[in-house]
Amino acid sequence: MKYIKFILLGIILIFALTSMSIAQDVEKIDFPELNKIKIPDIEKVTLENGITLYLLEDNSLPIFNVRTRINCGSYLEEADKIGLSNICGNVMRTGGTSKWTGDEIDELLEGIGGSVEISIGTTSGNATVNVLSEYSELGLEVLAEILRRPVFDQDKIDLAKIQVRTGISRRNDDVGSVARREFTKQIYGKDSPYARTVEYKTLDAINRDDLVKFHKTYIQPQNIQLAIWGDIDKKNIIKLIKKYFGDWSIGSTEVPPPPKVDYDYRSKVYYAEKKDAKQSYIRIGHIGGTVFDEDYADRIVMNSILGGGFGSRVTDAVRTKLGLAYSAGGRYISNFAYPGYFFMIASTKPNNTIKAAKEMIKQIKSMHTNPPTDTEMKKGKDGYLNSFVFNFDTKSEVINRMMTYDFYNLPSGFLQQEKEKVEKVSPEDVVAAAKNNIRTDQMIVLVAGNKDEFDEPLTSLGLGEAETIDISIPSPENNQELEITPENLQKGKDLLDKAVVAAGGIESYKKINAISIKGQMLISTPNGEFGVNLQMMEAYPDKQFSLIEVMGSKMYDITNGNTGWKTDQATGELVQKTENDMIDVNKDFSRNVILLFKESDNPSYQTVYNGSGNENGQAVEYVALVDKAGEIICTFGFNNQTYQLVSKSYFGTTQVGEGLVIKYMDNFQEIDGAKIPMTVETHMNDQKLMTLKIEEYLINPTLPTNQFDKP
Amino acid sequence: MKKDMKNLIFILSACFLLLFPQIQAFDFSELENSVSEKTLDNGLKVLVMERHDAPVASFVTFCNVGGTNDPKEYTGLAHMFEHMAFKGTPNIGTSDYEKEKELMKIEDSIWYELRAERKKGIAADSVKLEKLEKAFEDAIDAANEVVIPNEFDNILEREGTVGMNAGTGMDMTVYMMSLPSNKMELWMAMESERFLNPVLREMYRERNVITEERRQTLENSPIGRLIDAMKSAAFTAHPYGISIIGHMSDIMNYTRDKALEFYRTNYVPSNMTISIVGDVNPKEVFKMAEKYWSRIPYSPPPDKLATIEPEQQGERRVELEDPSQPFIAIGWHIPEGTHPDFPAIEAMSDYLGQGRTSLLYNNLVKDKKIAAQVGIYPGYPGSKYPSLLLAYAMPTPEHTNEECEEQIFSEIEILQNELISAEDVEKIKARTKASLINQMNSNMGLAMQLASNQNSWGDWRELFKSLDKINAVTAEDIQRVAQKYLTKQNRTVAKLNTSGS
Repeated sequence: MKYIKFILLGIILIFALTSMSIAQDVEKIDFPELNKIKIPDIEKVTLENGITLYLLEDNSLPIFNVRTRINCGSYLEEADKIGLSNICGNVMRTGGTSKWTGDEIDELLEGIGGSVEISIGTTSGNATVNVLSEYSELGLEVLAEILRRPVFDQDKIDLAKIQVRTGISRRNDDVGSVARREFTKQIYGKDSPYARTVEYKTLDAINRDDLVKFHKTYIQPQNIQLAIWGDIDKKNIIKLIKKYFGDWSIGSTEVPPPPKVDYDYRSKVYYAEKKDAKQSYIRIGHIGGTVFDEDYADRIVMNSILGGGFGSRVTDAVRTKLGLAYSAGGRYISNFAYPGYFFMIASTKPNNTIKAAKEMIKQIKSMHTNPPTDTEMKKGKDGYLNSFVFNFDTKSEVINRMMTYDFYNLPSGFLQQEKEKVEKVSPEDVVAAAKNNIRTDQMIVLVAGNKDEFDEPLTSLGLGEAETIDISIPSPENNQELEITPENLQKGKDLLDKAVVAAGGIESYKKINAISIKGQMLISTPNGEFGVNLQMMEAYPDKQFSLIEVMGSKMYDITNGNTGWKTDQATGELVQKTENDMIDVNKDFSRNVILLFKESDNPSYQTVYNGSGNENGQAVEYVALVDKAGEIICTFGFNNQTYQLVSKSYFGTTQVGEGLVIKYMDNFQEIDGAKIPMTVETHMNDQKLMTLKIEEYLINPTLPTNQFDKP
Repeated sequence: MKKDMKNLIFILSACFLLLFPQIQAFDFSELENSVSEKTLDNGLKVLVMERHDAPVASFVTFCNVGGTNDPKEYTGLAHMFEHMAFKGTPNIGTSDYEKEKELMKIEDSIWYELRAERKKGIAADSVKLEKLEKAFEDAIDAANEVVIPNEFDNILEREGTVGMNAGTGMDMTVYMMSLPSNKMELWMAMESERFLNPVLREMYRERNVITEERRQTLENSPIGRLIDAMKSAAFTAHPYGISIIGHMSDIMNYTRDKALEFYRTNYVPSNMTISIVGDVNPKEVFKMAEKYWSRIPYSPPPDKLATIEPEQQGERRVELEDPSQPFIAIGWHIPEGTHPDFPAIEAMSDYLGQGRTSLLYNNLVKDKKIAAQVGIYPGYPGSKYPSLLLAYAMPTPEHTNEECEEQIFSEIEILQNELISAEDVEKIKARTKASLINQMNSNMGLAMQLASNQNSWGDWRELFKSLDKINAVTAEDIQRVAQKYLTKQNRTVAKLNTSGS
């Protein structure tokens, strides 16, 4: 009996033990000493041409890795060509090199499951190689080729631009990115290299020459650091680097440092409207700092306590306690090259917007008034110190950090110094860091969403009226105001004359009384492209005939002086052209290139120079043909080197409606002295409508006398 | 492909084959030998892989439960529980558990009343409703008084945990984190505790967090909604058609009891695997696992789902309108990940739509420039059960969903009618090999993969056999699966159209 009682007692005791506080148990666990952190051996070599190499051998897996840091960035772009460096980086990879085309490089790399990539960011460029180590040499060769000898194939430039255009057109689709972008603009200034955005206009202004120039100026060996790690033999790698990069002559460009930031502290509310937003995005903050600041280490602890995830004041309050948001938090960012920003974000449903914003402000302000608790200090300090080992858990991290520190002239022991500083941080230090760095009365509050659905108006934040930000995407049209000045008239005339010469000379056109065209019209529809046969005749100055045959039926369009007929699209019947039709006809004739060239010596023509730009991948000079009232009839784009006709644009009607029509001329052939485009592509409002492919073009053909009569 | 390019590529490929003969095999034995396994009496599988590069380790708790286990009227509950698993235990997360228990009971009873009243719809008594809503908020506030928020996270983080996170899929729920390797016992103690004695505190506030997550990741994302709509149309019976985060109405319907019931049914050790990779000693690990995880008693694993999606009888189409830019997503039914056809399907996906040399990229992006992005993903939204092969395209500004659709189908036809070359098959294998080797470089990645393979195949060694399976795929296999699965009848096409266009 005694025994059973004892056993029962024992059982009860065991239960009691297991239900004892795990939290206390955890504190009682005796953790063994942390195994020593192995600092890898990194060899640094500087070549004669200035390239700095960092080498780390790690034979655990047969992988070869390179990361290149290039000292250049988008901050070096001119303001009217924003997006240039991004395109440059992109096309360095895709546009081919002296040795291989871009497609060949793709095949080569994807054939071995490897990758070589390059991109240029705000303050640095980054190129990476990742291949199995048996292909190390190939990886290095490809890297050298794309860095040293890119050819910037035009087709790939076009492709890169289309991708960027896609990005521009979609940049307001996501509320979060709208908030982030607009907040960044308010911090650095909308034209600042740290905030500015590529636009259709700046994108269009970028041409191949620009890319070549940017590459030549900045991608130079003394601007390059190469970190190489993995299954390598250091001696062999140095040999290979010398083979592929050794004869790269040192450059002379002095890269200016990234510009300073001039921030205007203010207390203000900004509103970016997005009517279809299911959540509001709130961003609160102001300018931040750099890692060179005196209290940088104190801010590490401060960040953890204020907005560093679970256990932080903002996350706990806004997400956990109030359940207002899935994402809530933020920090004071300390960058290397230029100041970061201080920010707190939360995204919440519209009718919790003001509630969430008020709570965020409250928590930020508490950093001045409520010193960190023991628990908070444990999170901020111990968390950092106990996880310090994770700064060394991958070779990649260690070698890349060394490369970055080197560039910014930070001592190699910088991280260790940081750790020692954090060890000494006290609650008072955290409050001091908050007081010195977070100006709670001079924060901007940016809200993106639909204010009609907010719980309260934005003014209830007590920071005054909200300023509405216009986030509409500027259209791609060249909105330059036409200036009719004697200079521009003369310049326009000169250009037109050069164009006529390039097109075969005025005599070749003066002798043209009529033309006859046979060809294929490829019409773009939602269901694909389909082709129709086209016959067209023109007898100058005022007769035109066209016949399109589609699916067995004939569609006519005929003009004979001041009258004409056309096949009605709806009924299929031949009808007389109306007054309005005839006005359109006259406009069409006024835009006719043959007529223009024929009469180009006519002094009453007003051809006005209207700036430069980019059409169909070519750099062009624009000449606007202007009527007596000063209205633009149409605008021609002539290649700025060859003066060949590239484009013709005007506001007009096509079968799909009214809009900006652009015709692209290509595939020029010489016919009786005149250079005639055999391919004409018609776009309207950025959509391709049709392509005319001319199969037969006759000058001064013999036409039947009733050619332009009613059929 | 353009003729010139085709010739060039043929020449390049021939050279390639001469230079790099078929050596796509890789000796994984060293890695395999560094793995030890043990099954506890309660059915929990323990996997350990030694990597002593740095004094750190990654930990994964892999549960064979996901969105497909959501009960009716409670879609998204698996995901909800994942959130709740961070709320602590009787001893972690509260300053007074006894008091808290009572306060939570009050929360629950008011919630049941409120829910019942809301269900009356327009017949609900508005005065009563208002009273109940206020009482509910008050009860939540009262219960929150004794909560120590996020204590579970905080304890781990201050001891040096990084990367603490969790994810719910249709097939599984995974909890992961990395710790300095000397804190292994901490993980053992805390992790086992939260699955032994979870307390679902703050549940009703967390429910609101989940509605925000739904708004952020689904409702505010036109592309997310599109793919969701496509998936719903593709699946008429199987829960793969339901969003992992659950319907808004169901989320607002959750009760604590239902969540606990879900946990008791699914979170049983026989249904779970723990996987640890890093600077650890397997003997130590198993000892600790015994000490802490054995506390959870054995329970049989839940039944596998009986519902089978019936064969799709004809093409389905979905259209959404939104102010945003166009997008197209297409899904074809494919078998489950363990089906013998799956390696060929993966190989086909690589060739068709993954990477700059894939058929779709060459055609839509490079050549015709009608898409800014294209992609293929096999095994969406899961792969435990028959699922979908997902194809998508993002049209460029002057182009349309319809153009992209036409070209996607056109490339598929080519794939169905023409055998791909031997060189291209080799390249697929080379890519798979490189990708797999690169995956071996991360503790967390390995921990995940080991647990995942153990869960899907019953054997973690399948991770290292995956390359062999791809190496066995032939050009004929790829053609066969293209013909068999990428048919018109088998597909669901969803388009996001810009409203007002």
